[in-house]
Amino acid sequence: MSHELTIEPLGRTIEVEEGQTILDASLRAGIYLPHACGQGYCATCKVTITDGEVDHGSASNFALMDYEREEGKTLACCATLEADTVIEADIEIDEDARDIPVRDFHGTVSRIENLTPTIKGIWLRLNNGEVLDFQAGQYINLNLPGDIGARAFSLANPPSTGNEIELNIRIVPGGRGTGWIHESLKVGDKLSLSGPYGRFFTHKSAGLPSLFMAGGSGLSSPRSMVLELLEEASTLPITLVYGARNQAELYYHQEFLDLAAKHPNFTYVPALSDEPTDSGWSGFRGFVHEAAKAHFDNDFRGNKAYLCGPPVMIEACISALMQGRLFERDIYTEKFFSAADAQQVRSPLFKRV
Amino acid sequence: MDMKVAKKLGLKERYTMMTRDLAWDTTYQPMDKVFPQVTYEGIKIHDWDKWEDPFRLTMDAYWKYQAEKERKLYAILDAFNQNNGHLSVTDARYINVLKLFLGSTPPLELMAGRGFSMVGRQMVGAGPRVACMMQAVDEYRHCQTQIHSISNYNKFYSGLSEFAHQQSRMWYLADGKSFFDDAITAGPFEFMVAIGFAFEYVLTNILFVPFISGAAYNGDMAAMTVGFSAQSDEARHMTLGLECIKFMLEQDPDNLPIVQRWIDKWTWRGTRKLASVGMMMDYMLPKRIMSFKEAWEIYFEENGGALFKDLARYGVTVPKCFPQTIEEKEHITHQSWIGFYMKPDAMSFHTWSPSPEELDWLSEKYPNTFDKYYRPVYEHWAKMEKAGKRFNNKTQPMNCQVCVTTVKYNEPGDPMTTCFRESIYKGEKYHFCSDHCKEIFEHEPEKYIQTFITSHQVLQGKCEPEGVDTDAPDFKPGSHMMEYWRLDPDVQGDFNGSLDQKNFAAWRELATKN
Repeated sequence: MSHELTIEPLGRTIEVEEGQTILDASLRAGIYLPHACGQGYCATCKVTITDGEVDHGSASNFALMDYEREEGKTLACCATLEADTVIEADIEIDEDARDIPVRDFHGTVSRIENLTPTIKGIWLRLNNGEVLDFQAGQYINLNLPGDIGARAFSLANPPSTGNEIELNIRIVPGGRGTGWIHESLKVGDKLSLSGPYGRFFTHKSAGLPSLFMAGGSGLSSPRSMVLELLEEASTLPITLVYGARNQAELYYHQEFLDLAAKHPNFTYVPALSDEPTDSGWSGFRGFVHEAAKAHFDNDFRGNKAYLCGPPVMIEACISALMQGRLFERDIYTEKFFSAADAQQVRSPLFKRV
Repeated sequence: MDMKVAKKLGLKERYTMMTRDLAWDTTYQPMDKVFPQVTYEGIKIHDWDKWEDPFRLTMDAYWKYQAEKERKLYAILDAFNQNNGHLSVTDARYINVLKLFLGSTPPLELMAGRGFSMVGRQMVGAGPRVACMMQAVDEYRHCQTQIHSISNYNKFYSGLSEFAHQQSRMWYLADGKSFFDDAITAGPFEFMVAIGFAFEYVLTNILFVPFISGAAYNGDMAAMTVGFSAQSDEARHMTLGLECIKFMLEQDPDNLPIVQRWIDKWTWRGTRKLASVGMMMDYMLPKRIMSFKEAWEIYFEENGGALFKDLARYGVTVPKCFPQTIEEKEHITHQSWIGFYMKPDAMSFHTWSPSPEELDWLSEKYPNTFDKYYRPVYEHWAKMEKAGKRFNNKTQPMNCQVCVTTVKYNEPGDPMTTCFRESIYKGEKYHFCSDHCKEIFEHEPEKYIQTFITSHQVLQGKCEPEGVDTDAPDFKPGSHMMEYWRLDPDVQGDFNGSLDQKNFAAWRELATKN
C-alpha cells in the first residue's frame, strides 16, 4: 500500500510506494535530497520526521544512533513509510516555484501544423473554457488512446494562453506515441491530459539576464519562457540560442526574428550544425554551445542559463557555460534526477546539472 | 499583552545562525593579516560567501552525535575484549594486518587532525572553518579509537607496542608519513586537495575495503566497529574536499592550472601510498574480500572516472598518472609483498609465503601477470624455505626522494625492469621511483631535498639509538638498528614458527576444548 509523503520546507506532497525509500521517491518526483552512499552508512541523507511513521530499514547504528531514532530522525536512503508521513529535510526553498497542483483536463484538437519535416505543432483547446495554470517551462502528460499510455510534452505556448495549449512534437522513429500523433491524430479529436509537471521554470526573482539554449524540439519550454518574459515587458536582456540541423528543421525562425526586431532586449542567435555550405545561410554554423560561446565571447557571468534539448547538447552547453565562468547555481536544465542518481553512477560533484 | 511567537527556524537558518552568523570581520587588524596564508599559493578568492556548505551540521548537534557514537563503540569494544574476541579472528596471520595498520594509520589520522586544525585557522570563510574544525576533531577521534581497538591485541601479540616510536623511523612506514608531512607543510588549499580531495575522496574507499570489510570477513568485530563509526564521518570529509575544489575553480580562472597540478600530484602520491593497502587485500587477509585490482577498477577507474568526467566541465583533465595506475594495478601488490617478504628481520609484522591455494587465487585474480611474473618467485622461495634457507635480504633499500617508498616498481611497459629515475639538484643526486615523483621533485626541489629517509640517513650515522658515540673510531653505521627501531625480537622472522602462531594455536585450543 502506498503512502503520502510531505516534504518540508517545500510543502510538497508525493506518493511513496510500498517498499520504496523516501530518497528514491523524492528523486523520482524531482526533489533533490542531499545523499551520498545510498546504503545507510554515511548519514548525509538524515531527515526529521515531524509526523507519521517510518521503518528505518538497514540504516547503520552509527549513522543513525538510537537517540536519533527516538528523536524522530531517519535516513532517507533506507527509510520506507508505514503511514502518511511528514519530513523536514535540508533543502533550499525555491522562491520562484509556484507549486501549482496537478489537475486533469479534457480538450479538443483545434489545429495541427507541420512546423518542420519531423515536428508537428498540435493545439488543444480545453473544454468549458478551462485554463491550464502553469509556469512557463513546465510540461503535461498527454493521455494517448488504447494501451499507448501517457506521454510527457513541454508546453510551447505562454501561460497567458492557457485555454489553448500548444505542443511541438517530433516524431521518434519507431515510437508508438509520437507515431500515432503524427499519423492518426486529427483536428476535432478529443484528448485528456494532466499537469502541470516539472521543476523547470524561469528564475525571475534573481533579476538577472536570461540565456536560453535550445536544440531541436527542445525549443518548446524556452519559447514559452521567452514569450512570457516579453509579454511581461521585462527589460532585462534575454538571449535565445537555438540550434537545429538545417534550415528546414529550424522552426519559429521568422517569429523570433520579428520579436528581436520589436524588443531591443531580446537577442536571437540561430545556429545550424548540418546546413549545406552553398545554401546561402548567413547565420552561425555549428552547435548551440559554440554559437553561445562566440556570441558571449566566452564570458557568461551574470546570466541565468536555461538548457533544453538532447542530452549531448545539454552536456556540451554545461561545459561551455562553466568554462565561461557560469556555474551550477545559475544553470537550469529540464533533466531531473532519477533512481540512477541514487545508485551513484555519477560523482556527487554536482547536484542539479 | 502582545506576544510575538518566533517562527521555527528551518534547518538552513538554524545552521546559518550557529555557524556563519557567529563569525565576524576583524577591525583591530586587517583581515589579510589575520589570515596570512590564503594568498601565497597563488589561489585567488574573491568572495568567501560563495562557499556552499556541503554538510549543514551545527556544533551542538555534532557534539551530541559524536559522544553517542563513542559510547556505543566502546561498549562493543569492551564486550569484544572481555570475550577474548582476538581468538575469534580467522587466523593469527590476520593480526599482522593490524600491526601494519597500527603503525601506518592512527599516526596519519593524528596528522590529519593537526592539518585540519591548522587549515581551519587559515580559512577566511566561517563555513569552511567550521567544517575543518569538525573534521579535525573527527580525525583525532579516529586516531584514538583505532589505537584503543587494537590495544587489546597488544596484551597478547608481538610488534604492536612501539608503533608511535617506529612511525618516524621504520623504512616502510615512511611513505605514509611523507604523504602527510608533504601535505601539512604545503599551503592551506593544497592541504585541502591533498587530504580532503585525493585522500578522502578519490582513495578512501580502497582504504576501507581491507579495514572494514577485511575486519568483518576475518572475524575482527572490534576493528570493524571502529571502521563503521569512522565511516559515518567520511561522507562529510569527502564533500568538504569536493566543495573546496569547486570553490577554487569557480572563484577565478587562474586557479585552474594550480589545482590541476595538485590533482596530478596528489592522485599519484595517493596511488603510491595504496600499494601497501592493496598488499593487505591480496596477501595478508586470511579470508579475502576482493583483489586489489578489482577494488581499483570499481573505486578508482569507475567512481574516480565519473568524478573526473564531471570535473572536465571546469576544464580539469584526468590526472596524468591515470594510465600508469591502470597498468600498475596488475603488478604493485605482488611487488610490494615480495619487497616485504625479503626483509623478515626489519619489520614489525610477519610475512609468509602464500599457500598453494592462495597462489591459485592470485592466478585467478591476476590472469595477465601473476603466473608469468610472480608465481615463479614464490615457488622458488618456497623451495628455499623447505631447504631451511628462507630468503632474507640484509641490504638497505633505496627509497624515492618524494614518495619514500622503496624503489621496487617496474619500468612502465616493462615488468622485468625496475624503474629508477634521478635528478641532480645543486650538485647532489636524488633518486625516484617514477617519472611522476621526479616531476613533483623538480617543481619544488627545495622542499623535497629535506626528506628524511632512514635507509639513506643511517649511513651517515643519523639513525642510532641514544648513547651511541657516532664519533668513535670503531663506529659502524646501522649496527644498532633493532634498538633504534625498538624492534621486538618476537616479531622478527617468518610467520611460520613465530611466537604469535604458537600462542594463537594454544589459546584457541584452550578456548574451544577441555
